[in-house]
Amino acid sequence: MMRMVALRLALTLPILLGVSMVAFALMRALPGDFAQASAGTTTISVEALDQIRRNLGLDRPIWAQYLAWLGNALQGDLGLSFATRRPVLGELVPRFLVTAELTLIAGLMALTLGTCTGLASARLRGRVDWIVRGWNSLLLAVPNFVVATLIVLLAGLYFPTIGIFTYVPFAEDPVANVVSLLLPALSLALTVSVTISENTRAAVLEVSSQDYVMVARAKGLTASAVLRDYLVRNALTPVITVTGLQMAALLGGSILIETIFTIPGMGQYLFESVTTRDYPAIQGIVLVAASVVLLVNVAVDIAYARVDARVSYD
Amino acid sequence: MVAIGAAMLALLLLVVVAGPSIAPFNAAKTSANSLAGPDATHWLGTDSIGRDLLSRLIVGGRGTLTITFVAVALALAAGLVLGLVSGYVGGKVDLVIMRLLDVVFAFPVFLLAIAVVAALGPTIRNLIITIAIVYTPTLARVVRGPVLSVKRWDHVEAARSVGVGEFRIAVVHVLPLVISPILVQTSLTLANTIFTVTALSFLGLGPPPPDPNWGSMLAEARQFMELAPLTVIGPAVAIVFASLTFIVLANGLREVLDVGNR
Amino acid sequence: MSPLLEVRDLTAQFARDGVPATVVKGISFDIAPGESVGFVGESGCGKSVTARAIMRLAPEGSSVAWGGRIGFRGQDLLTLSEREMRDIRGRRIAMVFQDPMASLNPVMSVGAQIDDILRRHTGLSRKAARQRTIELLGLVGIRDPAIRADDFPHQFSGGMRQRVLIAIAVSCQPDLLIADEPTTALDVTVQAQILRLLNRLRRELGMALMLITHDFGVIAGMVERVNVMHGGEIVEAGPIDQLFAAPTHPYTRALLAAVPRLDGARPGG
Repeated sequence: MMRMVALRLALTLPILLGVSMVAFALMRALPGDFAQASAGTTTISVEALDQIRRNLGLDRPIWAQYLAWLGNALQGDLGLSFATRRPVLGELVPRFLVTAELTLIAGLMALTLGTCTGLASARLRGRVDWIVRGWNSLLLAVPNFVVATLIVLLAGLYFPTIGIFTYVPFAEDPVANVVSLLLPALSLALTVSVTISENTRAAVLEVSSQDYVMVARAKGLTASAVLRDYLVRNALTPVITVTGLQMAALLGGSILIETIFTIPGMGQYLFESVTTRDYPAIQGIVLVAASVVLLVNVAVDIAYARVDARVSYD
Repeated sequence: MVAIGAAMLALLLLVVVAGPSIAPFNAAKTSANSLAGPDATHWLGTDSIGRDLLSRLIVGGRGTLTITFVAVALALAAGLVLGLVSGYVGGKVDLVIMRLLDVVFAFPVFLLAIAVVAALGPTIRNLIITIAIVYTPTLARVVRGPVLSVKRWDHVEAARSVGVGEFRIAVVHVLPLVISPILVQTSLTLANTIFTVTALSFLGLGPPPPDPNWGSMLAEARQFMELAPLTVIGPAVAIVFASLTFIVLANGLREVLDVGNR
Repeated sequence: MSPLLEVRDLTAQFARDGVPATVVKGISFDIAPGESVGFVGESGCGKSVTARAIMRLAPEGSSVAWGGRIGFRGQDLLTLSEREMRDIRGRRIAMVFQDPMASLNPVMSVGAQIDDILRRHTGLSRKAARQRTIELLGLVGIRDPAIRADDFPHQFSGGMRQRVLIAIAVSCQPDLLIADEPTTALDVTVQAQILRLLNRLRRELGMALMLITHDFGVIAGMVERVNVMHGGEIVEAGPIDQLFAAPTHPYTRALLAAVPRLDGARPGG
């Protein structure tokens, strides 16, 4: 088991390295000069500009710049924000936690909704199957920012007095904090639930036709025991994988949702940084988000191996 | 399913081709009649500076859809080349290509799109390049999978044994067999691209104004939502209709071409 | 002695694409307690459907309409509720299926798959059930049963898996064991071992055996009476010696002609 974990991490390392290169290269490919950009809109003398270049190490060869940047990043130094002149990491961490919470709630919602509709669709078939599949097709076609906009619109029209959209920090009131994230999480979860639902449906149908389910019924086990130990446990494995892979979609979607609901998370931070051209911040967010997605995928693989004894350990 | 999808697609294509000529008003013409509700003249009402919303929806649709089609065409071309080469040549070439695509794949699509557009600047050209980049890996993988399994099949072996050239084998024998999953995936990618294009525009990272775009129209309508809530409906329905078109098409193609559920 | 199983005018009808198809066309037969009876016929003749009817198991996702009467220990199985039927399955009537590779749950240890039927029908404690599971694994010839009980199906060969499935089937000492092509998916050498095991267990546990096969060679030395099925009907029935010596129905003769050797060299007995 340890070997498998180590191997999986080793395979991820080159990809992480590639991700860091892309994050680095993106901000060096800017039209114009990184130093110029760092100065923002203020006019600046040529000498001062040279000074900034030296400070940022821009006079060195590009690979040396990359190594220095990577070295710093590994030690948690993502550079100074152009906008606030404070370390990017310090700005990023509290926002990341907010996004992580939002993503987690949304993920749980999507998993619950997806597995329930998928299971109902596969077990009850007929009309239920029909309704679930139609509902899924429709959900798939409605982008999360449209859902979010419509939710805000409806709530604004019918419940203008309720302050459900005001984000409450966790430290202030944990319950109100979670409540304030429910609608944003729902608009994120709907699209993602479709993938989970379709995969659950396919997996349950596939498992239902397996001989071991017939054997379980021939044992006289109760319907709920057959469902729990034979159907769901076998169908769950692919569903776990799919849910993990949806992390990327959830993180990407949170950019829009946080902007619409004004939640001070990483997505909103990215949006702000893009508008203020705060390139070190953008770089940091891209690096952190992509790394998190990669690591979650590794975790999913490991969880998969634990649930399914058939996956070989080497 | 395919017929419904095709009919919906035809309507979208009509908007792309005919565009401004079927719009009832000049989409850029402002008037004093701002934020008006739907009536006989302005079927969907007017926006904050009195422009006809239906006309803007049609002209904006042309913009949104053109970007979508061009970007997906580029991604498809790149995905086909990379996937065919990777799956067909195999070995080290395959390894290198797949690892490179893995790197792009590691980014959440929308995050990468925002970062690239932010770095390059929000122009139509850059938007198209960005979307082509983020969707190439998906398409390349869909091509590579079947190529890997198909190239060992008997009739491919047979063609090789009678001395048919490798390039000819790839194009004549392998390509037709991978066409079904590609068609389905392309259709799904079109739906996703509609989402990405409009979402970027919604955040203000789309084509710069005054070009209308469904995403920016929705964002604008959101600002005046309390005054004119119904202006949100037009762009929202348009976006949903367009992505629904490609989803219906993909499901239909999947049934007709008998492609597996994944 | 009154029969254990008394099947009268059994019919089974499937709906395929909305068109009903009758697969079993009114068959009748008896099985006495402890008796072993063979059902022989080619695939699609209705023998497996007959077995499933006795278990009241419809294939997943399809509907079957059963007709007639299946008398078992004084009640008609076809009139029982699903809940009552669940008390019969595994407890009174058990079944061994054709494909051992696909018949075990891949994510449960083999021990757990015997524990669950024991706990369902016998009310044994978790610990006592595991003790009995280990005994059963030993009974069907699995070495180091206490250790192997925690292994997963993929760590067992096809023959070993069929032994596990037989352990599951006999775990609650059923009155009737239905074996539906239990050796078809196995290697020839393993086939003989499995047949010997079934025969031994039947005698030790005093079960009746309903052995379903397409191969006359398999039932030689295994059963006392044979029912030959063809096209959803029983075309010939009788003691096995009589059938081998003087088959009356042309279909029986054709089946017998397909068996390479009938000189009693088959294993078992």
